[in-house]
Amino acid sequence: MPPALDATFAALADPTRRAILARLARGEASVTALAAPFRMSLPAVSKHLRVLERAGLLARSREGRVHRLRLEAAPLRAAEEWIASYRRFWEQSFDRLDEYLRGLQGKEKNHGRGK
Amino acid sequence: MAAENSPATEPAGQEFVISRTFDAPRELVWKAFTDPERMKHWWGPKGFTVRLARMDLRPGGTFHYCLRSPAGHDMWGKFVYREIAAPERLVFVNSFSDEKGSVTRHPMHLAWPLEILSTVTFAEHEGRTTLTIRSVPINATNEERKTFEDGRESMRQGWTGTLDQLAGYLAKA
Repeated sequence: MPPALDATFAALADPTRRAILARLARGEASVTALAAPFRMSLPAVSKHLRVLERAGLLARSREGRVHRLRLEAAPLRAAEEWIASYRRFWEQSFDRLDEYLRGLQGKEKNHGRGK
Repeated sequence: MAAENSPATEPAGQEFVISRTFDAPRELVWKAFTDPERMKHWWGPKGFTVRLARMDLRPGGTFHYCLRSPAGHDMWGKFVYREIAAPERLVFVNSFSDEKGSVTRHPMHLAWPLEILSTVTFAEHEGRTTLTIRSVPINATNEERKTFEDGRESMRQGWTGTLDQLAGYLAKA
């Protein structure tokens, strides 16, 4: 059971954090640079960054006294893409199998079927 | 059930299950799944065609196939059979492949599970057959396990599509 995924989606539920991720999608940034567009204190922004970090969406590196942050959405996309692709392969194959079996038996097509 | 039980080949985590009921007797569904000439009629996503299908249906044998996408791209895959219990159960390890029949990793998705242990059961009730596929990675790296379990959990929670939206949103930002 990956509790991290719950943390990830909770992290994404906040519009400020989504805006931060959008900025990071364009490239690395310092904490100060990330805070600039928001009318909130640095500690408040740092709090958002910690939530994102704990959720595994953000990685931090240090150059001297400057913390640089970057987006880590790739692992999550990989998981989602795998399951969607795998499921789609089987569901669509099943659709075709259904048609094929009906054809073999001389039955009518199954219109309006669910998944 | 599995022939080998060494730690390296243990399946990882809980299974991902897909099921469908077909208006056909079990014998027919079993044949559709175990005859390469029949598989050509339905195997693969919408719009794909099976360009090549070689099947050696026995434990340790393989089903080696090539699917051509609507855009004309070839995708090879294979099953390595573990158990064949006609007409009720089929167990195999499936993976991407190449022309030579090797097990290959998808070039664009390095963290995807390499090998999936698939257990297919065929259950008949009043002339209709329920096909159930239980899937779980096998011989998996930690990264592959994580991809599978995160994906499973994501689907279970109904988040399918949300991350596509996020990816799209981030790409346009």
